[in-house]
Amino acid sequence: MNGTACQIHQNMAVKKQFEITRWLQSDGRHFQIISQVVFLCYGILALGWDADWRKYLAAFSGCMLAQLFAIRFAGVPSNSLKSALITSLGLSLLLKANSPWLFLFAALFAIGQKFLLKVNGKHLWNPANFGIVLIILLSGEAWISPGQWGSGALLVFIIGTGGLAVLSNIKRLETGVSFILTIFILEFFRTIVYLGWEWDVLFLKLSNGSLWLFALFMITDPMTTPNARSSRIVWSVAVAAVSFYLTNFKFINGAPFWVLFFATPFIPLFDHLIKSPSFHWMNKKSNVSLSK
Amino acid sequence: MNKLIQNTLTCLALFIALEQAQAFCGFYIAKADAKLFNNKSEVIMVRNGTKNVITMSSDFQGNLKDFAMVVPVPVILKEADIRVVERNIFDMLNDYSAPRMVEYYDTNPCGYDAYLEEDSRNWTLDAVATSKVMTCSDNTSLGVTIEAEYHVDEYDILILSATESEGLKTWLLANGYSIPTKAEEVLEPYIKSNMKFFVVKVNLEKMKNRNFEYLRPLQISFDHKKFMLPLRLGMANSQGSQDMIVYAFTQNGRVECTNYRTVKLPTDRNVPLYVQPKFGDFYKALFERSYLQEGRNAVFLEYAWNVSPFNSMHCDPCVGPPPVHREFVEAGVDWLQGSSAQTIFFTRLHVRYSRDKFPADLQFQETPNNENFQCRYILTRPAYGEFDCEAGQEYLQTLYNRRTREIDEVTALTGWSKEGSDGYLNEYATLMNKQKSIEKKNEILPGLFNSFKSNTTGLLMIFSIIALVSIVLFSQKKFFEKTV
Repeated sequence: MNGTACQIHQNMAVKKQFEITRWLQSDGRHFQIISQVVFLCYGILALGWDADWRKYLAAFSGCMLAQLFAIRFAGVPSNSLKSALITSLGLSLLLKANSPWLFLFAALFAIGQKFLLKVNGKHLWNPANFGIVLIILLSGEAWISPGQWGSGALLVFIIGTGGLAVLSNIKRLETGVSFILTIFILEFFRTIVYLGWEWDVLFLKLSNGSLWLFALFMITDPMTTPNARSSRIVWSVAVAAVSFYLTNFKFINGAPFWVLFFATPFIPLFDHLIKSPSFHWMNKKSNVSLSK
Repeated sequence: MNKLIQNTLTCLALFIALEQAQAFCGFYIAKADAKLFNNKSEVIMVRNGTKNVITMSSDFQGNLKDFAMVVPVPVILKEADIRVVERNIFDMLNDYSAPRMVEYYDTNPCGYDAYLEEDSRNWTLDAVATSKVMTCSDNTSLGVTIEAEYHVDEYDILILSATESEGLKTWLLANGYSIPTKAEEVLEPYIKSNMKFFVVKVNLEKMKNRNFEYLRPLQISFDHKKFMLPLRLGMANSQGSQDMIVYAFTQNGRVECTNYRTVKLPTDRNVPLYVQPKFGDFYKALFERSYLQEGRNAVFLEYAWNVSPFNSMHCDPCVGPPPVHREFVEAGVDWLQGSSAQTIFFTRLHVRYSRDKFPADLQFQETPNNENFQCRYILTRPAYGEFDCEAGQEYLQTLYNRRTREIDEVTALTGWSKEGSDGYLNEYATLMNKQKSIEKKNEILPGLFNSFKSNTTGLLMIFSIIALVSIVLFSQKKFFEKTV
């Protein structure tokens, strides 16, 4: 009798675990949110960032309110709040500004752009990228800090693990890998072969946290990259090459970020040349069209 | 009930009194200046758009005929771009932005106001600084072009360009510029990056005509997008680590490093009174500990402040008189016109670098970050007189608890052991009538704070973020289940 009760209990626990795993894997955004929260905690606790709760709250409330507005008036599904959460976490991780108001405006720009600037039913820019660039250009009181993560193997491991989980789920590994590989190859030839610096100089450059975050979480955004796989690879390589040039020859800090912003309007051209279905966050089981 | 109200009011009065005392910036009593650190060099960097003005201190001690300095620069400098400045500019900037110790005084809640004012102002440590020449390298080779030759006051200056490092090394050695053997591993990358070499020797004849023997700092100006500090050449002849203090002036806001982390040093910490006579050692230990905790590859922020002439508050408290217009101009600030409302932002960075942890030269960016920051450590002197009233007894308990935290703070900041601090902790305990009670505190959290170097606000925020994320995710889970 006891054995049966125990068996039933174990079965229920396994079933619950399976349900939770299935739920986690049902949407790539779950892994992204978890990763971003881990990174934010790491940044605040281990790297000693300035943690201003008012700025994070401004980003969060701006994103959520704008998305709720869109849900109510533009008819987008309510699970799109997850995307808004990701944008708010992205702003908290990347944007630096003197005032929480700037975070609020960046959030409104980021989410607003998704509904106001659409091409072929798809919004153009990665929301966080758009919001941050616009607030930097318009206010003069905001910036990004490429050095905020530092460099190192542990950092690459943490970001890499989170990135792999997300990209495996959404089947966008090739975008991140093409970007990173292009940067690696170009930097190797310039830093080691041409300039003659030592290997640890190259390692410092390539283990920069901002670079990995960009490669695995920003440029790989499935909603704002070309639809076809071959287009995405070409796109990634192009962004990487231009970023490399601007970083090393024009001495622009955070070059990948800016290149992504200005190169984004070319995405419809890629989609026009090689046609492929658009990405949707919710997979398989749902029959409801859930593009946001 | 009356007693409760009375106690509450007394505590409130005490709290308000203490709060008001804390609102005051505190009396400055000591600073930890750059002279504390051996093996250090100081640099002033002024950045305005793409214009750079770099002033290099020279604390060379030795035979002047052995002095030689080699600095990679991105362009060929003109004679008008090179000048010699007076040494006191560095002392002034160092004094002004140095980490500081301040003191507050408790008031006796039993009404005794008399206390002794100790003469503890403007006390600085004596420390001998043994600086080294910032870069010193010798090479002689072919393929070297003397792009320009200048004689500026007591210095003979050459601007060299080279086609390959062996040639440059041979040329420098043949012309009496000694560079260490390891320097050639960085000459080649600099040559390939189209860097020129600013090479300096002392003109001994002109030095004889001067009344003093020390070398004055050199200042160079040039226009280039690169905003960097070429440290690698300076590392070539050093086995261990060296300290560099950068005084950066910009128009908009704080300067930070882009290829290494810029980290704030701990500040606004309450420390025991016995730290005062050894404030220099305290700061050195604090810096060393932070340096190790951050993995030995971070750049530390010691001061960041809007020091514009129109801004009345330049520090809190001030260690010395603020720089005036003439001194800014001397340092290379060229955007001040008269005394109008232009902004000058002063950033002081302190980096301890070594070859293994700093393989690449420091790259910087100017940000619009205008948050003020300074390293400040606080002594609070206990009240004097008798504590025979009830509020006085409560004050003694508060004092005991505060001293416990101060001792913990010093250990967390410097790694110093608590041995010998019992006397300080119990100094006023004998005046307490009732049994003293150790303040109940969670022993896990302070350890967490120390190891993660964060504060309560950070933790509160983490929990808020986790709570918010959980709410959103789980509320969405319900939605998802409904639509399937």
